[in-house]
Amino acid sequence: MKKITFLAVLFISLSAIGQDKYLTKTGTLDFEASVPSFEEVAAKNKSVTAILNTKNGDFAALALVKAFRFKNALMEEHFNENYAESDKHPKATFKGKIEGFNFDALSEKDSSLSVNGSLTFHGVTKKLDDIKLNIKLVDGQIVLSGSFKVMVSDFDIEIPKIVANKLSDEVSVAFNFELEKK
Amino acid sequence: MRKWIVILIILIVVAIIGYNYIYQDHRDIESEAAEFVMSSDEIATKFSENVTLAEQTFLNKTIEVSGSVSELNDNDLTIEDKIFCQFLNQIKDNISIDSKIKIKGRVIGYDDLLEQVKLDQCAILK
Repeated sequence: MKKITFLAVLFISLSAIGQDKYLTKTGTLDFEASVPSFEEVAAKNKSVTAILNTKNGDFAALALVKAFRFKNALMEEHFNENYAESDKHPKATFKGKIEGFNFDALSEKDSSLSVNGSLTFHGVTKKLDDIKLNIKLVDGQIVLSGSFKVMVSDFDIEIPKIVANKLSDEVSVAFNFELEKK
Repeated sequence: MRKWIVILIILIVVAIIGYNYIYQDHRDIESEAAEFVMSSDEIATKFSENVTLAEQTFLNKTIEVSGSVSELNDNDLTIEDKIFCQFLNQIKDNISIDSKIKIKGRVIGYDDLLEQVKLDQCAILK
């Protein structure tokens, strides 16, 4: 009997944990490091996994580097082989916490919150603080969007001199996640 | 005079080759032959047992995977909760949850958060 009670409690608590998770497998991440009047250096990743714990605002995202698609196939090849070295470092991850997250306060209108955490890319982890994001709840989906800037040099990526003037050291990254209850 | 014509032709050829190199097309996964053919279980086990080794073997390779559909969306589907397959365009084939399918796609890596192998540029073979 005791065992059954224990199992019942375990299952109830497990399902309770399950209900606090919102996730997507098809979040988008865009980055751009273009310099005016040179060819656009930009890529899009449409298969980013993101998970939000609606109980405490814990947030995690994972982007596979090979999924970044450039308009120019050669640029994509160079990005993978020389800069991101995606064979050695296939993943980019973010782990953090949305400050002051309160599920009950979400509405269909965007509200502004900020997230603190750390971004790992190219084997280097960098702390990112106070990234502003917009958050709303539409048709049962939590929609998170925003953008931030990072420096290429912070991630131990060397830009050869020959292309240095065609590529910005400052990269702007935009994200959009439509999280569904799991 | 003839010398100039030859030089001009060489220049044009170099320009065309250079242009085609810089603006080459993306890989067309659908027309590539698969390097590995396996079931969803087999490849998922390879990744869950040793990620680094599996990445060295499969990353960026075209593979064929078979299994039954566990999740279906407009542009992606999941095979047996283990293999996530993304398509470039909307899935038009007549498939539903639990359909047995065979898919060709490019391995882009392993998602630790969900413990799934991810493929992109997929095509349904049957």
